[in-house]
Amino acid sequence: MTGPAPSATLPARVVLALYPLSWRARYGDEVRALLDESGGGARAVASLAWQALPAWIWPPSHLHDRPARMRASLATGLMSWSFLAGLGLVFAQLTQFQGYRPAGHPVIGWCYAVFDAALAVSVLAAGLGGLPLWLLMLRRARRDRSVPDLAFLLAPVAVPAVYLAAVRVTVRFVGGPGGVSPWWFLAVTVAGFGAAGLAAAGPGLALRRLQPRGPALRVAATAGGVAGAAMLAASAAVIVAVAGLCLWAPGFAGYHHATLPGVFLALVAVAASVTAVSTARGVRAALA
Amino acid sequence: MGDKLDRWADPPLLVLASLAGEPKHGYAITQDVAQTMGVRLSAGTLYAVIARLEAKGLIEPLESDDRRRPYRITAAGASALAEQSARMSRVASLATERLRAWATA
Repeated sequence: MTGPAPSATLPARVVLALYPLSWRARYGDEVRALLDESGGGARAVASLAWQALPAWIWPPSHLHDRPARMRASLATGLMSWSFLAGLGLVFAQLTQFQGYRPAGHPVIGWCYAVFDAALAVSVLAAGLGGLPLWLLMLRRARRDRSVPDLAFLLAPVAVPAVYLAAVRVTVRFVGGPGGVSPWWFLAVTVAGFGAAGLAAAGPGLALRRLQPRGPALRVAATAGGVAGAAMLAASAAVIVAVAGLCLWAPGFAGYHHATLPGVFLALVAVAASVTAVSTARGVRAALA
Repeated sequence: MGDKLDRWADPPLLVLASLAGEPKHGYAITQDVAQTMGVRLSAGTLYAVIARLEAKGLIEPLESDDRRRPYRITAAGASALAEQSARMSRVASLATERLRAWATA
């Protein structure tokens, strides 16, 4: 590596940023040199952009060792999975828990059922598949008396517990007979996403610090694939249900506003894509 | 070889054929492929292929002080290229023979 080429075109630099870090570290300078010599151009930029996704989904095996690939996929997948689960719970709160089913459109009810089943499978797969790895890391952190690692590993238990206790207290103080106001609901939701992010980041940091290997890691990566696939099914159900409610029940819970459901569905699509890519990479490394 | 190169069969073949002559860096490969085989390899395709071929051990990078790192074909790469070339020759011979028979029928 001799540093970035100053003459590489700006679009090419931007497009190269789409590639995984390990790919850029290995090939970035060479590609910039090629662009400098060939003049770059729209075709080169377009082809680099087109090949960026396969570079994430099928990363060249010589750029990573398999355990590192599985650990990275688990850490990323856990974050995106948590975000997706949060979006799913928002969906459930604003649809199922209200008990609303538009007459003449049974597909909404089917979506609720698919969502429930897929979410249950996903949580079960993530919990059971990740448990051996979590216990392995916990034992190692206890043996090493590493307080930060213990804190990171206990975050998925401690953070949701603290969050739920705080929500309970908050609702008691600010809630009325019909629940909390929309602004408080938004505040609780945003705080929930923050809590989910913290809870998911803990094991990710522990994975990076403790660098576990072996069968437990492979089991977790494979279970992550199952959990990710189930969460994709749940996301598909959410997308169909929300789109259906916008079309068939615009008077219900603000579905006549296209912006909010649109933003929500965009977030679901992005989180689902990240989950799919990261878990697929983990499974591929586990089964290689 | 077909199994080794899977869906990237065509561009990897061109890159292997180019490197069979002598080691080359990325830009030299694109120039050689364009001039001798009439195919323009884009930057994205070329480096996707280079990464795959390197991962499969069919090519290897050479030391370079330059940003332009040259690559050379390995023994496994030469063997894969020879096998695929023989298969393509058989297909070409068969096609030519059958076209000749079809034209005279």
